[in-house]
Amino acid sequence: MGSRGHPVVALWVALALAVAMTGCGRRDRGTTTVVFWQFSPLPAIQPVLDKFHHEHPGIRVEVEQLTWQSGREKIVAAVAAGRPPDLCEIGSTFLPGLVADSTLIDLTDSIADLKPELRGWRVTEYLGRSYAIPWMLGTRAMYMNADLMRGVGLPPENPPTTWTDFARAVEQIDAAGPDLKGFGMNAGEREVLFKKFMPFAWGNGGDILDSTLTHSVVYSPQNVEALRFYLSLKPFSLLDRQEMLDEAFTRGRIGFTISGPWMLRKLPESAPQLHFVVILMPRPGKDRGTPASFAGAEALGIFRGAKEKSAALTLARFLVREENAMPLYIATGNAFPAAAAAVEDTYFVSHPRDKVFVQQLQTAVAPPVHPRWVEIEEILNSELEEAIYGKKPADEALRSADQRIGALLQTGR
Amino acid sequence: MRGRFAGLLPWSLFFAVFGLVPLLAALVLSFYSMNPLRPDLTHWVGGANYARALGSPAFWHALRTTAIFVVGTLPATLVLAYVVAALLSRLRRGEAFFRAAIFFPATLSMVVISLVFKSLYAEQGLLNGWLKGLGFPAVHWLQDPRLALPSIMAMDVWASVGYYAILILAGRKTLPVEQLEAARLEGMRALAIERRIILPHVKPVILFVVLLNTVRSFQIFIEVFVLTRGGPLESTLTLVYHLYERAFYHFEMGYACALAYLLLLLVGVILLLQRRLIARAPVEVPAEMPLAPAVPRGTGRGAA
Repeated sequence: MGSRGHPVVALWVALALAVAMTGCGRRDRGTTTVVFWQFSPLPAIQPVLDKFHHEHPGIRVEVEQLTWQSGREKIVAAVAAGRPPDLCEIGSTFLPGLVADSTLIDLTDSIADLKPELRGWRVTEYLGRSYAIPWMLGTRAMYMNADLMRGVGLPPENPPTTWTDFARAVEQIDAAGPDLKGFGMNAGEREVLFKKFMPFAWGNGGDILDSTLTHSVVYSPQNVEALRFYLSLKPFSLLDRQEMLDEAFTRGRIGFTISGPWMLRKLPESAPQLHFVVILMPRPGKDRGTPASFAGAEALGIFRGAKEKSAALTLARFLVREENAMPLYIATGNAFPAAAAAVEDTYFVSHPRDKVFVQQLQTAVAPPVHPRWVEIEEILNSELEEAIYGKKPADEALRSADQRIGALLQTGR
Repeated sequence: MRGRFAGLLPWSLFFAVFGLVPLLAALVLSFYSMNPLRPDLTHWVGGANYARALGSPAFWHALRTTAIFVVGTLPATLVLAYVVAALLSRLRRGEAFFRAAIFFPATLSMVVISLVFKSLYAEQGLLNGWLKGLGFPAVHWLQDPRLALPSIMAMDVWASVGYYAILILAGRKTLPVEQLEAARLEGMRALAIERRIILPHVKPVILFVVLLNTVRSFQIFIEVFVLTRGGPLESTLTLVYHLYERAFYHFEMGYACALAYLLLLLVGVILLLQRRLIARAPVEVPAEMPLAPAVPRGTGRGAA
C-alpha cells in the first residue's frame, strides 16, 4: 500500500534537525550573508535579489523558496531549533500567532519612515506596535461569466453592484440550465469560510472584534443580515472547495465566484473561449455599505533568533519598495505590492482586470491581529460551516460563535 | 561477529536518529507544556496533557472517527485481498501481469493516490460522470458529511488491497502441491479445499495482514490532509489529523505528543491482542513476515 504518515512527531524532529543543519546568517570575508525564506518561485525573486546585490555588495542573500503546503511547519521547526532565517515572508493568517508569542522583533522604531509609503499595516500591528513590514497585499474580487450573464438577458457591461442585483443574477443563471449554477460557494474546507463570508459582513458594517480587541461583536444585526443573505444564495450555488470552484468557473459552469488574482493568469490559458469580467464585491445597497473584501498580506518579519537582523532589515526595506515589489507581482500575479505608489503603476493602465483588484484593496478589510486569532478563526469557521450545512440558522450560528469567542477572550492568554 | 553487526550500523543509526530519539523525545515532551515558538517557556505539567485529552470531546470524536475508519476498512480490505489472491492463484496465464497490476497502487505515494481520487470524486469527476450517464444525480462525495469518510475509506481499500493480496498469495504458495492434489483425489470440492485446507494454512498471514492494516489504519493522515482537512463538519477528523492541528496550528507540542502516546497505547493494546490470536493459530507464524511480496523458493511452484 502507499506510504502513510508516520507520527507527526517524527516529521517534526526531522524538520528541526534538517533546519538545524542549514547555515543561517553568517559573515564571510566582510560579506554578510542573509538567509531569506519566501514563497515566490526563485526565477521570479532572483532578478530582484540580483538588483539588491548590485546595490548592497556587502550583503549576500541566500534565498530559499517555501511551499504553501509545508512552509509553516518549516518555519516553526526552524524557530524551535533556534535557527530561524534572518528574514522571512509570513502570511497574515500566521502572523498573529508569531506576534502573540513574541517570536518576531518589534520593528516599530526602525520603520517609522515607511508608514506613509506602504499599505496593509493593520495585519502587522498589535497594540500599536509593528512586528513585520507589509510587502505584498492580497484580496479577492468577484469573477463573472459574461456569456452566462448575456444568456439570461443581463448585460455584462452593467454588472451587479448591490446584494439585490447580485442575488437576482445568481438565481437567473442557476435557472438557465441543469448544469449551471449561479454562484460558487466554498464548502468542505472549513479554513477559508470566514474569508468568503466576512466580506459581506464587513461591507454591511459588521466585524469580528471591537476596536479594543477585547470583545466579540460577531453577533450583530449587521452580521446576521449578511449571513442570511449569504445563505440565501446557497440553493443556487455550487458548494465545493476553492480549486473546484475555480475549475467550474473555468469550464463556464458557474456565473459568479469569489477568487484571487491568480485566476487572471490562469483563465486566458486554460479557457481562452471564456469571456469573464472581474468586478468589485457587491455592496448591501446602492447607498448603503461598502464593496468590502478580505485583505491578506505577505509581510516581512525578523525573528528574535535571527543572526543578521540589521542586514535583514536592509533587505526588507529594499524589497518593499514599489520598483522592486512590482516586478514580483508581474512575474507571479498573486499579490499586489503594499507600496502605495504601485496603484499608479502604468502596468494597471494596460491591465484593467488587475486594476479591479487594486480598487478592491481600497475597501478590503484585514482580520484583527489578536494573540488568540487561530482559535477565534477556528470558532468562526466551525459555526459558519454549521450554518452553510443547514445545521444552524444564521442567527444561532453567529450567537454561538459570539459566545464562544467571548468566553475565549475572557480566559486571556 | 563484529563484521556481522557492522552491517547493521547504518540502519541502527538511522533508526536511532529518526525513530528512537523522536519517540523518546515525544514521550518526555508529553509531560510538558511546550510551544515550539517559545521553547524558553516550556514547563513541566505532569499528566495534565493526558488528562486534558481524555476529557476533550474533540479527542473522543477523533478517536471515534478513526475507529470507524479502521472497522470499516479492515474487513473490506481483508475479504477483497483474499478473493483477489485466490483469483490470482487460479490464473493459468498472465499471472505475473495481473500480480503487477494488482500491486501497482502499493508503489504509489498516498499523496498521489489522494490527488487522483480528488479529481475522481469531484463534482464533474469521473464517478459523477458515470452516475450522470446512468441517469442519477451527482453525488457530493467529499462535501457531504455523511459520505466524506466512506469515500476516503473506499479509496484506502482500493489502495491497500493489492499489497495485502500479494502477501496472502505468497502465503498460499507455501502450501505443498501434494496436499492439494491429495484433497482433490479424495473428491473434495474447490470450496471445501479453500475452507478446510487453504484458509487454515494462510491464517497466520491473514492475522498478520489484520495486524498490519489495523496499525496503518489508525495512523490515517495523508488522505485526510489532502482530501478533506478533517471536514466537512469534522466528519473526517481522525486522531492523527487532530494531533497535527494541535501541534502545528495551535503550537501545543506537549499536548500533541500526549495524543500521539495515547494512540500508541491504543494500537499497542490491539497489537498485543492480535499477537495472542496469532499465537493460537494452528500453523507456525514465520518469524519475519516479508514486507514485500515474496514467493518461497526451492519448494516448487505452489498450486493454491
